[in-house]
Amino acid sequence: MATAVAARISANPRADDLPIGTVRLVGSTSADALLAARIAAGDDRALADAFDAFAGPVYASAVRVLGNGSLAQDVVQDVFVDLWCHPEKYDESLGTLRTFLSVCARHHAHDLIRSELRRAAREERSERLIPPQREPSPPERFAAAETASEVRAAVELLPPGQREVVELAYFRGLSYRDVARETGLPEGTAKSRVRLALARLEVLLDRQLLESS
Amino acid sequence: MTVPASMPNELRERVLAASRAARSAGRSVPAVPEISAAEAFAVAAEAFVILLSALSPDEWRTTVLRDLDVQELVGHLIGVEHDVRRALAGDEDVADANHVESTQRWASAQEGRDPAQTMSDWRRAADDTLALVEATAAHHTGSVVSMHGMRLSVDALLVVRAFELWTHENDIRRAVGLPASVPDPSVLALMTDLAVQLLPHAVTRAGSTQPTDLHLVLTGAGGGTWDVPVGDLTDPGDPTDLTIVVDAVDFCRLVANRVAPEALDVHTEGDGAGGVLAAAATLALD
Repeated sequence: MATAVAARISANPRADDLPIGTVRLVGSTSADALLAARIAAGDDRALADAFDAFAGPVYASAVRVLGNGSLAQDVVQDVFVDLWCHPEKYDESLGTLRTFLSVCARHHAHDLIRSELRRAAREERSERLIPPQREPSPPERFAAAETASEVRAAVELLPPGQREVVELAYFRGLSYRDVARETGLPEGTAKSRVRLALARLEVLLDRQLLESS
Repeated sequence: MTVPASMPNELRERVLAASRAARSAGRSVPAVPEISAAEAFAVAAEAFVILLSALSPDEWRTTVLRDLDVQELVGHLIGVEHDVRRALAGDEDVADANHVESTQRWASAQEGRDPAQTMSDWRRAADDTLALVEATAAHHTGSVVSMHGMRLSVDALLVVRAFELWTHENDIRRAVGLPASVPDPSVLALMTDLAVQLLPHAVTRAGSTQPTDLHLVLTGAGGGTWDVPVGDLTDPGDPTDLTIVVDAVDFCRLVANRVAPEALDVHTEGDGAGGVLAAAATLALD
């Protein structure tokens, strides 16, 4: 036999011993499993069928989390591209394809919110270091005021010790050293308290966004 | 199409375009490693030898196919390899030789021999085929080989050989009561691709003239999706749309004429599936 392939040669596997992650069409296949198997086989008509059947619920799930139709469209796209590229993620034994895609939509929406929060935090830190180059437009001022209002509401929910350091560092713009001096804490403790407060804030803001959607 | 009022209609095309950009249509996932036709033949041959090595003396005497026992069937395959090498050497006598009759003397010659000798001879025959293919690769690039009524490229001929070895491996498994096997996914990918290429000829040969746009979906590792026009392509009438969805391994069993079309677990949309599936079964050499 050709030596080039000797390393990968083995007996043919038994028909009932297929590798995990292989989507096969088998007897008494459900409509969902058939759709997933067709998508795995590269049948883009099946993907279009899946979109027609499930885009509505997927979009609705995303809108419920995000409260924003434009972002929800991005989530719909992410969910169906992911289904197209990784149909093996769908496990028929765990539920219907509609439920699976709706859950995926909620996960994608939450990921989008977290990503937006991190981006907003980065921008906020950056803006404190770099003086603004221009006056914000009225819509920007409104959006900023809205965001600031949500952040302040979340800060109010922090434990007093964490709230104090956040207010000093972010609302009064003090450095960690100045926060430490102001609160009488060691500088390292002040830093870790600010980090804890920010982590807690992220969760609080997540929850607020979810509740408002 | 069910789209909420607030969801723009153009989102559908945007999502489908983004999906196709992320992964080409037609190819199955998870992707299987690509191998050459010679590697596919080597893999199928080795799997066949592994099965033979596991058989008891009594099992070697088990009748498998056309009154041939296992040993005679292996003799038939030794004869086929002999004809393959003749075809590669340009011997025109094998071009239209009958696949069964031309190898019968090799099958009969196994009577009274030690099965180990038969197995050794077959292994040498497969090795000789591979050696000849390797030695003449440059000469055969793009050329067509004629054998047993087929006119194929050398690569296609090697895939046909892999196909036959897997088919007979499962004939033997069935005869001695072993579970069926599926081909290595990389080999299966070559087998399905070749079978789909040959399908329009089979449909035409079977006498089906209705022009049909066949959307064929073969599921599972080594499968894929093909759009294949079949029937009389010169017919000016509108072609019929037909979708057939079937497991890739089951489709190969059909092409090997080891399962009847009506026994297949198949999903169809449109008319004419029965004729296409019946035509696929006529591709078998047996």
